[in-house]
Amino acid sequence: MTTVPTLRTHALAKSYGDLDALAPLDLRIDPGTSVALVGHNGSGKSTLLKLVAGLLEPSDGHVEIEGAEVGSIAARAAVSYLPDDPVLYDDLSVREHVEYLSRLHGGPGCDADAEDLIGRLGLAHRADDLPARFSRGLRQRTAVLVGLSRPFSLLLVDEPFVGLDAGGKRTLLDLLAEATAAGATLLVATHEEAYVDRVDRCIALRDGEVIHDGPATPGEVVALVS
Amino acid sequence: MTAALADLRAARRRRRLGEIHWVDALYKAYLTALLGTIAVLVLSGWVGDAELTPAELTRASADGPAAIGLVVAVAIAGGLRSGSRGGPLAIEGADVRHVLLGPVDRRAALRAPALRQLRHAGFVGLVVGAVAGQLAVRRMPGDAVEWVLTAGAAGGLAAVATVGAGLVASGRRLPGWAATVVGAGLVGWAAADLAAVVPGSSVTGAFGRLALVPLELDTGAVAGAGVAAVVAVGLAGLGLVGIGGLSVEAAERRTALVGQLRFAATLQDLRTVIVLRRQLAQEHPRRAARLRWVPGGRGRFPVWERDWRGLVRWPTARIVRLLALAAVAGVALRGAAAGTTPLVVVAGLAAYVAALDAVEGLAQELDHPSLAESIPRERGAIHVRHLPLAVAVMAAAGLVGLAAAVAVDPSAEAASVGALTVVSVALAATAGGAIGTVGGAVEQSGAWSLVPPEVSGMRNAVRLVWPPALAVIGVLPVLAATRPPEGTTPTLAAASVAALVALLAAGVFAWIRVRDAVRASIARAMETAGSGGGVRAAIAAADEATRPTSPAPDTPAPPTAPTAAADRHSISGRPAPRDRRKKKVLP
Repeated sequence: MTTVPTLRTHALAKSYGDLDALAPLDLRIDPGTSVALVGHNGSGKSTLLKLVAGLLEPSDGHVEIEGAEVGSIAARAAVSYLPDDPVLYDDLSVREHVEYLSRLHGGPGCDADAEDLIGRLGLAHRADDLPARFSRGLRQRTAVLVGLSRPFSLLLVDEPFVGLDAGGKRTLLDLLAEATAAGATLLVATHEEAYVDRVDRCIALRDGEVIHDGPATPGEVVALVS
Repeated sequence: MTAALADLRAARRRRRLGEIHWVDALYKAYLTALLGTIAVLVLSGWVGDAELTPAELTRASADGPAAIGLVVAVAIAGGLRSGSRGGPLAIEGADVRHVLLGPVDRRAALRAPALRQLRHAGFVGLVVGAVAGQLAVRRMPGDAVEWVLTAGAAGGLAAVATVGAGLVASGRRLPGWAATVVGAGLVGWAAADLAAVVPGSSVTGAFGRLALVPLELDTGAVAGAGVAAVVAVGLAGLGLVGIGGLSVEAAERRTALVGQLRFAATLQDLRTVIVLRRQLAQEHPRRAARLRWVPGGRGRFPVWERDWRGLVRWPTARIVRLLALAAVAGVALRGAAAGTTPLVVVAGLAAYVAALDAVEGLAQELDHPSLAESIPRERGAIHVRHLPLAVAVMAAAGLVGLAAAVAVDPSAEAASVGALTVVSVALAATAGGAIGTVGGAVEQSGAWSLVPPEVSGMRNAVRLVWPPALAVIGVLPVLAATRPPEGTTPTLAAASVAALVALLAAGVFAWIRVRDAVRASIARAMETAGSGGGVRAAIAAADEATRPTSPAPDTPAPPTAPTAAADRHSISGRPAPRDRRKKKVLP
């Protein structure tokens, strides 16, 4: 029996006027795979993630999430997107974010698991505060919390380690590993070459084109993106 | 999921309501009522209360519906254009990320904000229409209640139709070009109706027939009312049904820009407002220049050449807007010359908006202060060199306005007075546009933080009103020509006023040249007052009285460290306001 890929793109391309942000891209990522997306600034990593999340519309080609067209309700239910710029409500506390957004995605709300996650991310003492008053790092932790406390099968993560301290990075690496172990598919855009040791596959982009797709060592990644 | 969304919104509403203080709410209501009353009184004064002559009434009855229809058509065309770019909804960023990307029916999620927008627009349209009806009854026959009701209904329905058209375009993802074609078609149809090419045929004229029911109640007026209602409700309904098709990409782009736009408008930062509005409209300079030739070039006038190179890359939309504004100003001035004096304000404002585009070279200079600071010249000397091309652009656009004015009512006198006015408006509107652009955002700190709110409020009001007022002053030769002093011709009267306007514009240009030096002198004077005596020293002395362990108040302040070259840019590329102030060391 053929497995339905978690993510499949066909001739996916994005351009802004005469600027090609992403050249036509055919990609297939199977369930449970963890993938690192590497490349220099402006190489198209964030564009690809946003296209898969449904935040950007392709100029050409299409994206399927578990066989459903991106943007459909089924695809939106499957994808959790952790952006590099946390976007949170100004007037909801951390706990309220989890409560309502988890339920919005069919989750249980702020249950015991979510409370545990709040603690692991070091937000227990700030759980009833408004993230609008948080530092960059705490807002990033809140975004991670919101993204992980809802059901998903494809986790898209854009520059997850930016703004996090050493403890925060360690926790996030553990959480990403747990998500993979639980069967989720991961697509992580990062500049941290060491992260490629933790994934099954590495896709390197340069000027919107794939220049490498397969396993890679940190040293190879440095050579690819420099 | 929909229940979760309802709970989310209810929780946020509760929190918002909990944070509203009743004193703030009452103060806002008081301010709105006060400003509204002042606006109505001013408008009443302009409109006057002389009853229209039978001939004027006949003309108002014949052309009024089509004229109002033209205004409604322009509004609906604007709604369509906005919709093609993801408007008119400005969804909160977090809602885009969490709700629109969540597994929720987008139509259900967007219905509430869309309904809220329709309701708000309908209410504002109703109020504006009712005020217009109240003003109309002063000069036209009919019952005041009838006028207020019918004009209010027409205004409300027109506003609903405008927002509805935007929702339809947004939900159906109408491409920009298609929105422009449909909008231009509607405007063209309404204009043809007004020009009696296809009299009484335009669909937007129905709103005019409804508004003017007290003037002429016949079957046409009743049918017009019905058509207006059907169009408005139909567009709103279609918009609500299809809103789920909204582009998330456009919504996210819009939400970020609209938030910044509101903030910039609050700070009266005109340049940032313009830059953000262009980003919303996706109005970008052309990559390829339209012309390679540079008049008067070869390196003799580098600032002129730089501005010219920017000009030949203007997007088509900007050129069309400039020419359309010039035509509006020309036609409005023809109306002012015919006796409707308040139209000078319309003409002046159109010229001012056009000038904000014309001074683009100067604005670019201000957007990139670190580039200007690397040039071994005073900033004012460079700023003032950007103005000749802006004046030339305004004069060229003014010729289109002159052609429009003369086309409405051809006469040799109109042409000569118009030609003088072109020069006068080009100078005055450029001065207004330049002053509005160099003004930057309101600074509420520094020395201005010490003055009473009444004074800083007046200052802010003057900052807001003076630049467009300059443009309005530029059109005064037309008024002078309508009332020439005894023994002079209208053209001579216009020439005299145009000369005075030119002198005023020259004064403004000179101010732009020396502005930085004057401001620096004032700042130095304030610092001297702060360290040696004056208000700051008095405040510091008062503070010291309550802090006996502090150093003596007359301890000399350490020298001010020069601020690092400020390259922290706001969205427009300009430095944030605090970057442009020298750090002051308080005693």
